[in-house]
Amino acid sequence: MNVRRGLPRNAFILMMLAPTTVLLLGVTLFPFITALVMSFTNYSLIRPDELAWIGFGNYANLLGSTEFWQALRVTAVFTIVAVAVQMVLGAAIALLLHYETRRSAWLRIIYLLPMAITPVAATFTFRMMFNPSLGVINHMFKAVGLPPQDWLGSPSTALFSLLVVDTWQWTPFIMLIAVGGLAAMDDEPLEASQMDGASFWQTLGHHVLPMLTPYLAFALVFRSIDAFKTFDIIFVLTGGGPGTLTRTLNLLTYKHGIEFLAMGYAAAISIVMLIIAIVASQIFLRRLKLLQPRQARI
Amino acid sequence: MKQYGPTQGNILGSINRRFLLKAAACITGAAAIGRVPAVWAATFDEVKDQYMSAGIDWRQAAGSRIQLAGLTHPWMETIRPLVPIFTNLTGIEVDVVEQSNTEYITEMPVKLAAKSASPDVYMVWAQGQAVSGGWLEPLSSFLADSSLHDAQWWDDDDNFPGARSFSVWSDGESYTRTITAEAQTLFVNRALLDAKGQSIPGTFDELRATAAALNDGDVSGIAMRGKATGDAVAWPAGGYVFSHGGGILGLDGAVAMDSPEAIAGVDIYARTLREGGPLGVANYHWLEALNDFLQGATAFGCDSSNFATDISNPDKSQVADVATFAAFPKAPSGVSKPNMWHWLTGINRFSENKKAAWLFLMWATSKPTNLLGGAAGLATPRTTAWSSDAFKGAFGSEAAEAALANLANTDGDIMKATWFHPQAGQVLDAFAIAVNEAITEAKDTESALKAAAETARRALGQ
Repeated sequence: MNVRRGLPRNAFILMMLAPTTVLLLGVTLFPFITALVMSFTNYSLIRPDELAWIGFGNYANLLGSTEFWQALRVTAVFTIVAVAVQMVLGAAIALLLHYETRRSAWLRIIYLLPMAITPVAATFTFRMMFNPSLGVINHMFKAVGLPPQDWLGSPSTALFSLLVVDTWQWTPFIMLIAVGGLAAMDDEPLEASQMDGASFWQTLGHHVLPMLTPYLAFALVFRSIDAFKTFDIIFVLTGGGPGTLTRTLNLLTYKHGIEFLAMGYAAAISIVMLIIAIVASQIFLRRLKLLQPRQARI
Repeated sequence: MKQYGPTQGNILGSINRRFLLKAAACITGAAAIGRVPAVWAATFDEVKDQYMSAGIDWRQAAGSRIQLAGLTHPWMETIRPLVPIFTNLTGIEVDVVEQSNTEYITEMPVKLAAKSASPDVYMVWAQGQAVSGGWLEPLSSFLADSSLHDAQWWDDDDNFPGARSFSVWSDGESYTRTITAEAQTLFVNRALLDAKGQSIPGTFDELRATAAALNDGDVSGIAMRGKATGDAVAWPAGGYVFSHGGGILGLDGAVAMDSPEAIAGVDIYARTLREGGPLGVANYHWLEALNDFLQGATAFGCDSSNFATDISNPDKSQVADVATFAAFPKAPSGVSKPNMWHWLTGINRFSENKKAAWLFLMWATSKPTNLLGGAAGLATPRTTAWSSDAFKGAFGSEAAEAALANLANTDGDIMKATWFHPQAGQVLDAFAIAVNEAITEAKDTESALKAAAETARRALGQ
């Protein structure tokens, strides 16, 4: 039977897309609406019979609590520092790989390995490495005469240790995108600038980086959103401690939802996180217009 | 049809030392190889009479199938190989589901809140949450039904008083049965103390000073929990607070963690770990603290008396021959109130096999089953099990003596005021963060506890 003869074109397309669309809506829109509605209630698994609509009560409590602002500050510091370091390192490694032609294929595979490892498995390995008495890091410190450190338990080093693990794991993501951008780059303007006598740094600053900017902007947005909701490495390595010095918004959501069973309040934190992520990424993209390819200055 | 055995009233008559040692070997072997050895067939004949002496028909739910859920815990390790005895006795099949601590306490609330019919019987991790959520079946109707419960045979008086009170909720209803008995106990590596001419401390301040003196960088003076989570540092720090006359929540339910007594208790706990603890102690859960002690990497430990089973086991412990167990230290007032714990089991309110679940609950908490568990070193809540030679052999008689003395000093009311509160999670989390901040000196003890008290008050609406 000729399907196109029996059905209008639009109906046919709709019919083909419908199953996937329904599935996607089921696993994305439905949980989102559920969380949104729940955030306006006092729903708690401990007292399910006392379920009531409380309007913006959860949001008011949240914005009035010191734990929220503390968690927001930790989240912001973690996201900004982690992403900034990873952007610089990722772009730098990509450039080095771009100019290294003989071994670049092997090196690319090796550099990508951290991203391919299951985060929890890698994090447990780091937990052993950070162990103050048995870990290899303190062993090396002692070998060169430095005092051993309490990497995960000390207020001065806990967040730094988390940033190291996150950077180790996600720098390859930036590198991968930057390598793709460099490979797609038009070489003619580059060759022209070199023929005009531009130095390496001039070529890099005025030609390569501007052309790489759209790719880096893409990586920055994705990595920022991902870093903003980091959970696994913080949960495994510090659990949010010492005190609350590494307790991010995502950990706060887990605490209230899974440990305290206050589902309405936890849903409100999730919604606030979603709003922050959307607003921040939109402001970033629109104000800096980073998705528009820049004209290389030659 | 009820079945009455000839030895009712003297049900322990035929359980002798030889039998218990054999049972202990079976449990250990079964745990090691993951299945029940054939020798159980022989031991079942020995133990069967003890169960048959109960004045109930064990086979009234034959053909049923129930699910037992629990977290990784010595009780689960002990009960799993004993399940075939129950199945043989009742004709009820039991599926045992065991999960890690984190998995269990995150999955179970969601499952029970969704009114899932399984598991039928489960280890209760937070009775306050479970009762408030309506996830536990009240046991009074079973207890009142003579076809299901033989009170004389089950003998509640054989349970420690604290264990009896643990299974009775504030409304007078019983929702759970106790399965373990634990009290905060001091573990001592005698060899390390002897090497530096130190003696076992009797007060908190002596413990702090001795631990500080023994802390030399390679071997620490003391290892206790320091991690900033409600399930970690709150429990051992609680004993320090109680001994100083304070509470985390008072008996009236009001937040009390910022009282001068509580501040004094947390302060000495934090100072002890700062001066005598290993590097990284602020991130220690019980497992890290126990491991340090087992490896001889610390002179003192102060945690659950249940650790004695591992400490006394030369296969797991490098200090089995030099470890000793002592009373929980005293506050300056001379009071010692170690923290306590009784693990509990209960029946899922939405279970479709409640009769079979009840029979399992009664069997699992009965004298013969507790004797078998005790023979494998499990610290059960029954005095008969604790006084058996088999238990003393597996647990260590010195450890048993210290644990019993500490159990006698516990204050169940002040402990239950916090740990049985429906919102215990929020209260203990705030308290744990404050203790951790005091250990790491992120804040001074008083301001950390005052901030934590404010958080707890806001959470409880006080």
